[in-house]
Order: sequence, then structure tokens, then C-alpha cells
Amino acid sequence: MADIVRKHVVSVEGPTIRERLQAMDDSAVVTAFLGGEERAFSELVTRYQTRLLNFVYRTIGDREKAEDLVQEVFIRVYRHLHRFDRSKKFSTWVYTIASNLAKNELRNRSRNPLVLFQTVQKNFQDEDRPLQFEDTTARPDDMYRKRHLREIVEESVAKLPEHHRNVFILRELEGKSYEEIAEITECNLGTVKSRLNRARNSFAEIIAPYVD
Amino acid sequence: MDCREFCEQHVAYVDDTLAGIELVRMQRHIAECESCAKHDAKIRRALLVFRNLPSIEPSADFSRRLEARIRECQSDHILATAQRNLRYGAVAATMASVIMLGYIGTTLYQRTAAPQDLMMPPVVASIPEPDLAPITTSTPAIVTSVSAGLSIWPAALFAEQAPVRFAHSKLELTSYTR
Repeated sequence: MADIVRKHVVSVEGPTIRERLQAMDDSAVVTAFLGGEERAFSELVTRYQTRLLNFVYRTIGDREKAEDLVQEVFIRVYRHLHRFDRSKKFSTWVYTIASNLAKNELRNRSRNPLVLFQTVQKNFQDEDRPLQFEDTTARPDDMYRKRHLREIVEESVAKLPEHHRNVFILRELEGKSYEEIAEITECNLGTVKSRLNRARNSFAEIIAPYVD
Repeated sequence: MDCREFCEQHVAYVDDTLAGIELVRMQRHIAECESCAKHDAKIRRALLVFRNLPSIEPSADFSRRLEARIRECQSDHILATAQRNLRYGAVAATMASVIMLGYIGTTLYQRTAAPQDLMMPPVVASIPEPDLAPITTSTPAIVTSVSAGLSIWPAALFAEQAPVRFAHSKLELTSYTR
């Protein structure tokens, strides 16, 4: 009898708050957070952490630092969400914060040779690590080729000028529209298209010998 | 369409955002121009490689670290709010004290201050009107007495009262002319 009652109660309760948050769009989740629902912030983190990490990592080329910067993005979101203009897209705002932080990081790195040295050293150590995330069922030469190609692609992206790379990653990796990219990078639409065209051409030129 | 125009529109062509007619023109150009066809293939292949880069995932302790920082942020916020409230309270208390001290000081000063000059109401002085009989300057009796060598007193009287009469006649004249 008690089981029947419990089952009935569960069916009446409906979806949990977490499930309801998952079903909401970004704007509704932001509203829920501002309304005092702290779990809404976790939902935003879940939605954006991987995307932002990839974006920042491809921009600055340092995984550890990218994680730190993504954490900083979320801290800023947490602190300033009440100031966010809700007539605009939340994702654009978040990417703008991430883009600015990545830009600052690159600027600081170029000014500080020690940081640059540490990054080079860390990347060198990374290369010495055993393959951890590769498909172990594949043949060793395939694994090598895959890793080699990934490194080449990452190096080719890193060779692009900073403002071209930013637009390139936002478009090709994050699938942002030209208008969104213009807003995130604070450029006009014509500049975005021109930078994207140049970035694609440069990247294709660099990578062509390896993929032909 | 020439190759230059093709290159200018290639971004939109790859992203499939061209209008129908432009799209057909681009496709026709690729079919005709081997160089542009090669360029198009090279770009598309490069983008394919890039888009298929394996995604990286946040490390295992990412969420834990973030939660810790958020908690830190919350406690900072609470502390900052308390400090702000305390600061506002301190400012309000200081202002109230200053006003109170000012009031007390003013009251004490008013009580102990040296007597000041007495302020009296203004005095309006008025000149009583002289009790003089109206005379006319051209009285025939006086004129006659002076010229005829008669007793001098009317002339002396006239001379003594001359300034007053003169002023009186001036006043009369003024009041007539108004």
C-alpha cells in the first residue's frame, strides 16, 4: 500500500527542477538564476564549459591556462549576471567575456617572455607524455598519424594572426553567425567576412601539404 | 563572373548564405574555371580537417574548483555587503553627531554671548507746523509804512520772520503748482 502511495506521489511531482532547467532556453535559465534559483547557474556551466574550453584552448593553445580562463569566465558571469542585458543573447555575452580574456592572455604572454618560455616548456613536456586519449584498438601508425595531424592543425591555427584566428574559431568551431562574431569581436560585419576569408585562405595554405 | 568576384563571394558560398542566383553563378564559374575549383576544394578540405578536431573536455576537478571559487565569491560578496552597510551606518552616525554638536554649540553660544547693540524701532521725526498767520508778501500796509517813515516795528517783525515766511511761501507755491 505504501509503495502504491509513493509511486503515485512521484508521478504527481513531475519533472525535477534540474530537468525543468535543462528543458529551458538560456534566457529562461538566466531569469531563474536571477530569481534566486542557484541551480540555474550549474545548468549554465554544464551548457557552456566544454564549448568555452575548446574555444579558449584553440585561441591560446594552452590547456591548463584555458581551464583557468574558463573558470574566470564563469566567475565573472556569476558576479555580473544581474547587469547582463537580457534583450541580447546570453551565449554572445559569454563568448565576448571569454574572447576578451583570451586576448588579454595573449597580450600578457607577448609582453612576458617568462610566460612564453613556460608555455613552450609545458608543450614540450606534453609531447613526451604517452598517448592517453587515443583509440587503443587502432594501429600504432594510425595513432601516430592522427596525433601528428592534430598537432599540425593546432599549429596551423596558432600561426594565424590573433584577430583572424579568433574569427576563424568562432565561425568554424563554434558555428557562430557573422552577426554574433561581429558583436563578440566588436567589429563590423564587413571586417568579420574579410578576416574570415583571409583566415580560411591562410589556414588552407598552411595545412594543404599535409592533407593533400 | 570572374575569378576576383568568385574569391570575394567565396566565404558566403562556403557558408551557404548566398542568394539563389548568386549560388548558380558561383557553381557555373567553378565548372568553367579549374583554378577556382581547386581553390574551393582546398578550402573545403582544410575546413573539414579543422572541424573534425577532437573536442577537449574539462578536467575532472574543474567543477569542484569552480564551486570552491563560487563559494569564495559568495562569501566575499556577503563580506563586502556587510562592510558597505557598516560604512553607510558610520557615515550616518557621524552626520547625526555633527548636526547634534552644531545644534548644542549654537544654543550654548546664544546663551553666553555678549549683549549686542539694542535694536530700537525707527523714530519718525516730524516738524510741527509753525503757527503763523498767512501773510501775503504784497501787503499794502507794510509797503506804505516803510516808504512813509512810520514806526519801524512791522518792518522789523517782517525781517525777523522773513526766513520762515519765505519758506512758508515757497511751500505754498509748491503746493499750488502740484
